[in-house]
Amino acid sequence: MSIIATSTSYGTKKKNILKNVSLEIKHNEIISLVGPNGAGKSTFLQILAGDFEPDSGFIQYDGIPLSKISIQERSFCRSVMSQSQPIIFDFTVRQVIEMGWVERGLSAYVEDFHQAVTKTAKECFVFDLLEDKFSNLSGGEQRRVHFARTLVQLWRPSESQDPRYLILDEPTANLDLFFEREILHLLRTKTNEGFGCLIVLHDLNLAAKFSDKMALLHNGAIVKFGNPKEILSSEILSEIYRLEITISKNPFRINYY
Amino acid sequence: MNRKIHSYSFLKFIDFRQRVIICALFFMLITSILLSTKIGAFSIDLFEIISKSASPLEEMVLLEIRIPRILLSCFVGASLGLSGASLQGLFRNPLADPGLIGVSAGAALGAALTIVVGSDFTIYTALEKYMIPISAVLGSVCIILLLYVSTMGFSQKGIAYMLLIGIAVNAFATVGIAFLTFISSDLELRSLSFWIMGSFGGSEWITILPGIIIISFAILWMIVSSRELDILQLGESEASRLGVDVKKLKFKVIISSAVIVGVSVSLSGMISFVGLIVPHIVRLLGGVNHNFLLVGSAIAGGILMSVADLGSRTLIQPAEIPIGLITSALGAPIFLWLILRSVRK
Repeated sequence: MSIIATSTSYGTKKKNILKNVSLEIKHNEIISLVGPNGAGKSTFLQILAGDFEPDSGFIQYDGIPLSKISIQERSFCRSVMSQSQPIIFDFTVRQVIEMGWVERGLSAYVEDFHQAVTKTAKECFVFDLLEDKFSNLSGGEQRRVHFARTLVQLWRPSESQDPRYLILDEPTANLDLFFEREILHLLRTKTNEGFGCLIVLHDLNLAAKFSDKMALLHNGAIVKFGNPKEILSSEILSEIYRLEITISKNPFRINYY
Repeated sequence: MNRKIHSYSFLKFIDFRQRVIICALFFMLITSILLSTKIGAFSIDLFEIISKSASPLEEMVLLEIRIPRILLSCFVGASLGLSGASLQGLFRNPLADPGLIGVSAGAALGAALTIVVGSDFTIYTALEKYMIPISAVLGSVCIILLLYVSTMGFSQKGIAYMLLIGIAVNAFATVGIAFLTFISSDLELRSLSFWIMGSFGGSEWITILPGIIIISFAILWMIVSSRELDILQLGESEASRLGVDVKKLKFKVIISSAVIVGVSVSLSGMISFVGLIVPHIVRLLGGVNHNFLLVGSAIAGGILMSVADLGSRTLIQPAEIPIGLITSALGAPIFLWLILRSVRK
């Protein structure tokens, strides 16, 4: 069971944003998508999430073409965290997290509602903020609340074996070092429970440490894919990022200052 | 993957305090209705009516004049409050109100056309009573069609674009009304200006019943979208990733608010301010989630309007103050007080 993108291309009149991108996101796996600004990362994420269709190529969720899955069914099996927009009215943190709760009409799920919100809030370190106004929070706190909402969307009773995927666009933006590490650890726990994850990250060291596989996107094409320690080389990174980048092997570290 | 999907469950997303507030508002609504039936140019004792000891005149005044008027004022208030709340949610803009998408101006233009131009072709038929309401509804329908066509079925370029179109349409209708005012005779001008400022005088069962039925259905249709309006606050694409059919939601909210506002304006004239202010009052009272907000705004709109109408017909008897003046005079200080209170917190 996996999400598969098969040679997806997408472009505007002026520019080809994605060229023949293929990728598979399996269960129990974190794939990080890295690349410079304008490489096409967010566009690929949106196509993968089903916001719009690629010009050519196709996306499959567990063997079913994405275009055949209704938007409600999609919301059960994948959740997306994008670079978030402000919320105009004064919702409380609890209400924002609850927005992620998609009704499934099964009694087992319904009884879980409060437990899902409380447990996820604790996991994401926002339990103490639950009754605060969302708009009064700092950027990092808002990010954690959105992450909690993304997790609540995929809440299942513990015995469930349903396929679930997380698609995250820079989940660690605005987070301090502590929360950055904790959120990525949490992501690892979730992956071990059966989630498949695709995350966009800008910090190459974080991406190399926390992901099972890495896809290096440049000018709309995947130039390298595989185990981060094997695929990354100082030549490729220096060329793509237009910076002098060196890699030290033991411990594995990417240096660019 | 064939699970049954419920997109809506009401009570889960509305907390205990909000339930208490809704009950309190409902109690206030009943009280204001009972007070309004009693007080007036002609004081009526409800118990006398129930115990059948009232005079036939009292009974007539109550059943044929006062009750239809009170009912209409409650329903118009409810529809303005509710459509204000849901349009603010849909546009994610605290300044949105039914007037902003041009619907009330369209209705007003339709009615003004009938008052000024139609008076030259008066047809003495059974339809005469419905002439102004029907032309007002037609006016608002034209505006909705115009909006629908120019935004490609409410879908193109998002919601900000639709607001701009609404403003343009509004300006167009305002010019139309101003022109009609300019060419009208003194008599027409009087009924025109009274109608533009709003009034519940002259409510009759035969004209308000169809309106009340339409408004009730539209209110129910709109209230079931409240959870989706909550989710929409995350942004359109985010909402669609959470399973909300955003295009359908837009269609539903815009059509039903256009219908209820069109019908309300057609029966009572232009009443400004209620749609803008009532949702804010309700938000400051108990919270911003739409499960609470939509119901609360409907009830609070009903209260504000029935109290305002009571004031309109009793403050300077035997004259009637235009209802729009009262709603603004009542709403503005309450609103100011609530804002000041929330700033101090």
